Amino acid sequence: MLAIQTRGLTRRFDGRHGVTDLALEVPAGSVYGFLGPNGAGKTTTIRLLLALLREEAGEIRLFGEPLSWTRRAPLSEVGSMVETPSLYPHLSGRDNLEVTRLLLDGETASIDEALALVGLTADAERRVREYSLGMRQRLGIALALMRRPRLLVLDEPTNGLDPAGIVELRALLLRLAGERGITIFLSSHLLSEVEQIASHVGVLHQGQLLFQGTQESLRRRHGDPLAIRCGDARAVCDSLAHLGEQPQLLDEGTVSVPAPRRADHEINRCLIERGHAIHAFGRRPHSLETLFFELTGQEART
Amino acid sequence: MSALVRALRAERIKLRHTLAAWMVPLAPGVILLLSLVQLGFAHVPPPGPTDPMEAWKHFCQGMFTLWLFLMLPLFITLQAALLAGLEHGHHQWKHLLALPVPRRTHFMAKLCMLMAMVAASTLLLAVATPLVGWVIMQLNPAQGLTGSPPWAWLVSRALASIVAAGALMALQGWVALRWQSFTVAVSVGTAGMVSGFLIGQSDRLGHWFPWSMPVQVFLRDGVHLWFVLVAGLVAGVAIAGFALWDCSRREYD
Repeated sequence: MLAIQTRGLTRRFDGRHGVTDLALEVPAGSVYGFLGPNGAGKTTTIRLLLALLREEAGEIRLFGEPLSWTRRAPLSEVGSMVETPSLYPHLSGRDNLEVTRLLLDGETASIDEALALVGLTADAERRVREYSLGMRQRLGIALALMRRPRLLVLDEPTNGLDPAGIVELRALLLRLAGERGITIFLSSHLLSEVEQIASHVGVLHQGQLLFQGTQESLRRRHGDPLAIRCGDARAVCDSLAHLGEQPQLLDEGTVSVPAPRRADHEINRCLIERGHAIHAFGRRPHSLETLFFELTGQEART
Repeated sequence: MSALVRALRAERIKLRHTLAAWMVPLAPGVILLLSLVQLGFAHVPPPGPTDPMEAWKHFCQGMFTLWLFLMLPLFITLQAALLAGLEHGHHQWKHLLALPVPRRTHFMAKLCMLMAMVAASTLLLAVATPLVGWVIMQLNPAQGLTGSPPWAWLVSRALASIVAAGALMALQGWVALRWQSFTVAVSVGTAGMVSGFLIGQSDRLGHWFPWSMPVQVFLRDGVHLWFVLVAGLVAGVAIAGFALWDCSRREYD
């Protein structure tokens, strides 16, 4: 069962990328990290998924139900937070939730339930302008949870949060996914965060989906590089090049071979036969960050 | 409970601790205070009718002319901008419009709330005017405000002025919802108010201009009363309908 499915989804803007021919497949129950550089079209996609933008072409299905600008019924299954949480700072946390509860015709108990879930029961009567950024973010998620959604769509939920706030939010999202089985679709710039929380990832670049699938499948597709810690890395590099490999000197004691042509044991044997002192030899898993930069063809700004 | 009623209840909560809510009693309060100071402590009574009922009507007319010519257009401008600003200011649209509620419900609730606030302020002024008249009677009997005030006449005219303001409310409501900038709403309102002050004095044009329609209820013995009632209602409904259509089809940030 797919929580989100899009086919040929297209929306362009004058002078800037939107999204083109997007085919998202988000399995129900997954935590899907939606990645892409600034301007890739992440927010456009999220706005399309929430019927905040008109689709130019293509279709969207949420839990199998078609969604469009004019057909918004499937939104009753969705809780959302786009960029910053939409809050009335002059009202208390409880009043903010009450506004949404009234609009949704929800039960009064849903307010206390949402407050408890995000750990804001004690601060419910305080005005939101007195809340810290992390508390606002949690209240934003409480707002999204008011309709007891099966799908939570979050756009950059960690924006502006300090490390403690990020850890707090991560724990909350994992709890929602684990205990309640809520599908979470989140976009984020923080690749390390997505790496820790997401079961699936989608990589968007210039409005096009470059990859989607589980993190494991992404790693499998790219293969883990061979990492060699040795006494004289330059000499090892020369030897590897002589063997027809394409080594990369990481530092004075480490060499990486991103895509070895020979079997690992064969390379190891050759290096030892040539008299190199090898301290450690093995595959080092790619970080999501590395894979992201490989996919998008970008380089980290150092 | 219908979606609109629920949206109106939500609007009422949003107005807690806001300037917009305070302005409902404050705006007519300013007019009442000005009249009290001017007439209660004036050494020389202004020339006016000697018949007590006519004196009351003259007094009420003065109060409402000030309200409808100057304060009401400004009040509608600011209230519309403040009501819409609650959503524009904190990017609330992306939350509200992603709820499974018909889009037009949010905009209709805003327009209804604006009309309710205008009605509340105008009726508050209608109720408080005779009370202030009574205080003036004690402070300055020379004003000639004796006997009982013309309640039925005053309340019916006040209600009529609310209906006559229909076009203006719908127009300012649309501008405030359509453009996110507070400046646009205030500029349109100010330009309309100044023009309305000049045009409203014209017997030929005053009843055609939305900003000067409400005051026509009290001007020239209400010669254009029925015209501004019908025009305010019809144009108000038409503009509100257009506003709902236009705002509902827009993609908000």
